[in-house]
Amino acid sequence: MNVDVALFASLASFQPDGMPGRHSRSVEFPDGIPVGQVIESLGLPDEPRVIFVNGRHAEESDVLAEGDRLAIFPPVGGG
Amino acid sequence: MLTADLRSALRQAKVAIIGCGGLGSNVAAMLVRSGVGELTLVDFDRVEEDNLNRQMFFRDDIGRLKAEALADILRRIDPSVLLKVVVERVAADTLVDLVREADVIVEAVDTAGDKAMIVNTCTTELPDTPLVTVSGLAGSDSANRIVTERIADNVYLVGDLESDVRSGLTLYASRVMVAAAHEAHVVIRVLLGQLEP
Repeated sequence: MNVDVALFASLASFQPDGMPGRHSRSVEFPDGIPVGQVIESLGLPDEPRVIFVNGRHAEESDVLAEGDRLAIFPPVGGG
Repeated sequence: MLTADLRSALRQAKVAIIGCGGLGSNVAAMLVRSGVGELTLVDFDRVEEDNLNRQMFFRDDIGRLKAEALADILRRIDPSVLLKVVVERVAADTLVDLVREADVIVEAVDTAGDKAMIVNTCTTELPDTPLVTVSGLAGSDSANRIVTERIADNVYLVGDLESDVRSGLTLYASRVMVAAAHEAHVVIRVLLGQLEP
């Protein structure tokens, strides 16, 4: 199945196509893959992150479906 | 809406601000100046001398609790503003009760871990309450790189997304206030029903 993957800021370099930029790419994954396994397969660093699927908050245990929009955002410090 | 209706929309609004430092103290002052009627101010920390380079405090506030010192400053701007002062370090299990009544929640803390916790908790427990968060404001890079965007249905992200204070970048009042102004302005736009694209 294909999932639309957007990786923000420092995570953009982990897109499988190796191209820069935070725009979303369609990426193929096995059917029924949970978000956590996508994170693992992309090799994202173990740092604070926020996950959205189809514009709503998601957990790493949530299972993705064909055509879902996955966005992962890593906050940085300062305030 | 008519001008009176716009003013009324802001006067009746409740905004929760988590963190009363560089972001939160300046956001609060701008919202009160804009006529927002009720703020919840959440912060556990005390004013220190090195906060004065970017936070809405004065030398004689040093040593005071930030939330209480900020409340006094806000009442000097508008004595009619309703303020709830919460002296507490936010945690995932207590956060929701502090911000449940808010029309908009403002994340204004400093560490990446706390930012992620606040966004994750609020968007899970209160998915219909708009949340404004900041990521990337440190350093002296162009202020024009700081933008506001809607990254999820009810989540507005302010910042350049990259300039991390952990990288040793200095926090300049000018750039912190640009980010704070973006936060305050998106709160006002949301309260007036003007959604970001």
